[in-house]
Amino acid sequence: MLRRFARVLSRCSLSGTSHPRPVWGTPGSSQRASTAPPAPRGDFSSPLWSTVVPALIVFSGLAVFAPSLAFAQAGDANAGKVLYERKCAGCHGVKGDGKGPAAELLRPAPRDFTSGIYKIRSTGNKIPTDKDIFEVLTYGMPGTSMPPWSVLPEKDRWNLVAYVKTFAADKFKEAPKKLDLPKEVASSDASIKRGKEMFEAIECNKCHGADGRADGPSRPELKDEWGHPIAPANLTKRWTFRGGASRQDIATRLGSGILGTPMPSFIDSVEKPEDIWHLTNYIASLGPEKPSYSTLLTVRAVTDAIPDDPNAEFWRKIPAQNIPLMGQVIMDPRNFNPAIDLVSMRAAYNDKEIAFQLTWDDPTQSQPDGKEIYPDVVALQFPPSVGTGTERPYFLMGDASDAVYQLRWEGGKGPLEVTANGPAKVTVLSGSEVTGKGVFQNGQYRVVIKRPLASKDASRISFQPGVFTPVAFQAWDGGAGETGPKMSLTSWYYLRLEEPQSNRRFVVPPVVALLTLAAMVLVVRVSRGRR
Amino acid sequence: MRKLIAAVAGLALVAGGVAFVGGTRTATAQGGGTIEAEVKYNGAPQVEKLKVNKDVEKCGNEAIIEKVVVGANKGLANAVVSVPEAKGAPTAKKITIDQHGCKFVPHVSAMTPGEVDLKNSDDILHNIHTYSTANPSINKAQPKFKKVMAEKFEKPEMIKLTCDVHSWMLGWVAVMPNPYFGVTDANGVTKIENVPPGKYKVEVWHETLGKQTKDVEVKAGQTAKVAFEMKK
Repeated sequence: MLRRFARVLSRCSLSGTSHPRPVWGTPGSSQRASTAPPAPRGDFSSPLWSTVVPALIVFSGLAVFAPSLAFAQAGDANAGKVLYERKCAGCHGVKGDGKGPAAELLRPAPRDFTSGIYKIRSTGNKIPTDKDIFEVLTYGMPGTSMPPWSVLPEKDRWNLVAYVKTFAADKFKEAPKKLDLPKEVASSDASIKRGKEMFEAIECNKCHGADGRADGPSRPELKDEWGHPIAPANLTKRWTFRGGASRQDIATRLGSGILGTPMPSFIDSVEKPEDIWHLTNYIASLGPEKPSYSTLLTVRAVTDAIPDDPNAEFWRKIPAQNIPLMGQVIMDPRNFNPAIDLVSMRAAYNDKEIAFQLTWDDPTQSQPDGKEIYPDVVALQFPPSVGTGTERPYFLMGDASDAVYQLRWEGGKGPLEVTANGPAKVTVLSGSEVTGKGVFQNGQYRVVIKRPLASKDASRISFQPGVFTPVAFQAWDGGAGETGPKMSLTSWYYLRLEEPQSNRRFVVPPVVALLTLAAMVLVVRVSRGRR
Repeated sequence: MRKLIAAVAGLALVAGGVAFVGGTRTATAQGGGTIEAEVKYNGAPQVEKLKVNKDVEKCGNEAIIEKVVVGANKGLANAVVSVPEAKGAPTAKKITIDQHGCKFVPHVSAMTPGEVDLKNSDDILHNIHTYSTANPSINKAQPKFKKVMAEKFEKPEMIKLTCDVHSWMLGWVAVMPNPYFGVTDANGVTKIENVPPGKYKVEVWHETLGKQTKDVEVKAGQTAKVAFEMKK
């Protein structure tokens, strides 16, 4: 048994060279390890073993660095055509004109390859390199419907690059020109400060907003090359950047602009060349490269009063928990292009009340006109009571037999309690004891919804510490025409109110320890006495 | 007789002036004639207004988008009149387009292939975003501290200028193969001078109303009049 374990361990450490430490696991769970060729049983000094080890190390090293080894290859356009028609034509169209059958539903629209206009370029002119196209194909375009095609063999991807270029063969007669970025400047407080100054001087806020949340005054006017409305990037959500979230990616976009969109080139439009990197460092400081999402949501136990003001210092001390939202696509009208993709929650309770602080980005504070613009709304959904089993109401606002209870905040109305039997049947509960406040600033809502812990009647949930309480989230950007079933939502999550912390934990363990010691001393004495 | 002498003298003076102005241009321009074009539009001016939500201290509270400008006597302004068939070398003259009051000034410019200075006298961010096919399209930011940017338009075509920051801003640059062109004034009139004698098709282009052509014969030292009437 020990031998077998040693073997597994040695395999694990070989296959996991990207990890600093060997991966511990049982033989059955270690899938990656089991794909390694079988090692000779126990005999570590055999010649076979000594050749296999370096070979494996080199091989796994290659696998790790494979992306950087993807040198441009001349693809075969004819082979690419077959694959294109199978994999790409659904959106981009057989003719490459971006008019595939699915195109109608996609925002941003799929690329029209016949235009020869490529958003993501590492070049100083309009022509992308083959590698630029290859990388978009490989990594996809975050925040759009273009998925990463890394599942396809590398050769196939190069063939696709070759074929896609044939749609605008004329444009590719010109050679790509290298973009001359200034020497990289590492991020530092001073660089970020200078970047902010430049951000303001070159007025990035006009489109991207003062805090970078895509809420600038020019936002509603922006159109792409084809006259479609186009939204500026939310600079606090780097993971949605079309051309990648790394600093190199950001500097390149600033330098060469994003073709076919309003985003201009800034390579000659900053005060000093290195300002491109200061801007990059500032933009990178606005948000994480990747979001971290929570699965189990925690409500902090506190002893002090919970403020209604979402900007109160109180809320800064409570960790934020991010929840991703999806468009509602189960019932009509479906929301294929949801405006709100993330809600951040902070929650706390004391002996009387429970409160939720929700923040999310929305470029406009809706002024409803009842025709195209509706109120901005956020909802926290619960079952009316927490049962003992796993059964919960239908996550999409319940159904005819099982209702849901929601805590809502609605622009113009404030906090509300509602009960719903599906999106079409929503009733505002009377005698609400909910309080709260919402503020909107620089493209972000911050809302506090507060309620007594105990329930007043059967349609309202009662919150109890230590109980796994189902919770779901919904949000509507009324400015983007979202109302009724047209919303962003989650399925059920679990919410847990922390057990209240009392001083007993400082008293009970020492007392138990003392009693144990006394008992031991007693036992020793008694046994000695018997001798 | 006196009148004749005066006329001859006047003509000589004009010819001398023409030779002086056009001297450095081309040899063919000498002894050329003039085309006087009058462009009319039998319709109402088309003006759109937009409430401005930013930079109001520079752009004003209301943006006026003049799609068709009609002056006295139904004269159509901002139409480009040209003689595409005439032979003549490009002028070395560099034109300037200013972004002033969140407008392109002039609204329509014409030039022969070469450089253009794009000025930003507004002290706010603009971005020069051109729409063209023969020339590479440009989308360059022009922040407040970047007062002048030089750009090259090297191939003849009509280039649309826009600014994404201020979506109402619209301008046109007519890049012409020869120096025989003019842009109509507020009365719908323009003069093209020093055109080599010959029979030509004169073309008029307007951003909203499209194109028209007319035959004209240019004789040395004479003014050939041509009148256009644009329709919707």
